[in-house]
Amino acid sequence: MRRRFILPALTVAAITASLLVAVAPASAHGYISSPPSRQANCASGAVAGCGDIIYEPQSVEAPKGSKLCNGGGSRFAVLNDTSKAWPYAGVGKTVTFNWIITARHATTTWEYFIGNTLLASFNDNGAQPGATKQHTVSMGSFTGRQTILARWNIADTANAFYSCVDVNIGGGSTTPPTTPPTTTPTTAPTTAPTTNPPTTTPTGTWRAGTAYKVGDVVTYNGVSYRCRQAHTAIAGWEPPNVPALWLAI
Amino acid sequence: MARHLIRIALILALVAGCSAKQPAAATAPPFNATDVMFLQMGLAQIAEGDQVAALAAERAGDGRIRAIATELRGQWHDESGTMQRWLLGWQQPLAADPSAGVHAGHGALHALRAADIQDLRSASGPAFDRTAVSLLLGNLANCLETSRMEESGGAYPPTKSLAATATQRRQGQMQRLLRLAATQ
Repeated sequence: MRRRFILPALTVAAITASLLVAVAPASAHGYISSPPSRQANCASGAVAGCGDIIYEPQSVEAPKGSKLCNGGGSRFAVLNDTSKAWPYAGVGKTVTFNWIITARHATTTWEYFIGNTLLASFNDNGAQPGATKQHTVSMGSFTGRQTILARWNIADTANAFYSCVDVNIGGGSTTPPTTPPTTTPTTAPTTAPTTNPPTTTPTGTWRAGTAYKVGDVVTYNGVSYRCRQAHTAIAGWEPPNVPALWLAI
Repeated sequence: MARHLIRIALILALVAGCSAKQPAAATAPPFNATDVMFLQMGLAQIAEGDQVAALAAERAGDGRIRAIATELRGQWHDESGTMQRWLLGWQQPLAADPSAGVHAGHGALHALRAADIQDLRSASGPAFDRTAVSLLLGNLANCLETSRMEESGGAYPPTKSLAATATQRRQGQMQRLLRLAATQ
C-alpha cells in the first residue's frame, strides 16, 4: 500500500524535471492583418502554396535591419517570392496598419518602408505594446502598386518582426471581393488537370472585360493560366494577381 | 448503517485504486511533459479567448464574427472539459506553477490583460468589431502554437488527437477571421 502514495510524488518529480527540456513551441509575436500582409494572405488562404507560415503568420522573426519580407532568415523565404501572385489591397494616400500581437515585446520602433524610403517610424521607447496596435502612415508621393515593408524592432533582443504589405495606392484591390477566397481550396490544382488537359483549348491572351468560364486557358506575360471559376475579367484581376481565379499551368 | 456503507465504499475504492495502479507501477506514465504543458497552456488560452468570444458573440455588429465566436465557445467548452479531466486523472495541476519558469520565453500565456477586455467592453461599432477580431486572432495564433507543439511532441494518443482536432478548428477559424480583418 505504501508505494501507492510514493508513486504520484515520483511521477510529479519526473514530469517537473522533464518539463525543463520539453519541446517548446515556436516563439510567436506579431504581424499585420489589415491591409493584409503576405503572411496574412497565406494564412487566410487567399494565396496558396505558402508552407508552414499558414500556421504561424506571427513568427517572421529575424535580426534587425533587413529589407526582405522574411527578414533575411532561412525560414519563410516564400514571402520574398515576387513571382507569387500576391494580391494588392486598394488603399488611399494614408493607410492604417493593424497588427495582431501574440506576445508583447518591449519595443524600440515600428518602421514602414517602400524600397529604401522610410515612410514613418514610431518610437515606443522600450514600452510594451497593447494587445492590438494600429499606425496610420502617409504614402507620400508613392502611387500605384507598391510593397510596404514593416519592421517591429524589439527592445530587448537583436531581432525584429517583418511584415510585407502589397498595396495599390489610389487604386482598387486586385483581390476579387469576397467569393473567390472561399473557393480557393488547394485541391483545385489536383483535380483540374484531369478534367482539362493542359494542351487544349487555348483562348488567347487575357483581356479585361472578357467573360471567362471554368477551364478556359489564357496567356498573360508569356505564362498560361487556366480559369478556376467563371467571371468577367476586370483590370487588376490579371491572372498572376488572382490565384483564386487563375491557375498557372 | 450509513457509516458502515461509507466504510465499505472506501475499502472498495482503495482496492479498485490499488488494482488500477498496479500496471502503472511497472511502466512509465502514458503521458509526457508536453502533454501536460499543452493541457495547462491550452486551458489558460481558452480561458482568455473565451472572455473575448463571450463579448464578441453578444455584441459584434457583423453576424459572421458572432457566428465564429459562438462556434468557438461551444468547441472550447467541450475541449476544456476533456483537458481538465485528463490533468485531474494524471494528478497534475490544472495550471502550471508560474514560478517554475517552464513557460519562460514562450510569452504565449496571459497575453490578454483585464485592461484589454475592458477596452473591448468599452468599444462600440466598427471599433468593437475590429478589436474583437484582432484579439481573437492573437489568441487563436497562440492556441495553434500549443496544439501544434502537442501534435509533434506529445505522447498520449488521445491528447495528440485532441490537439490535431484543435489545430484544424483553430486554423479554419483563423482563416475566416483573417478574411474579415482584410476588409476592416
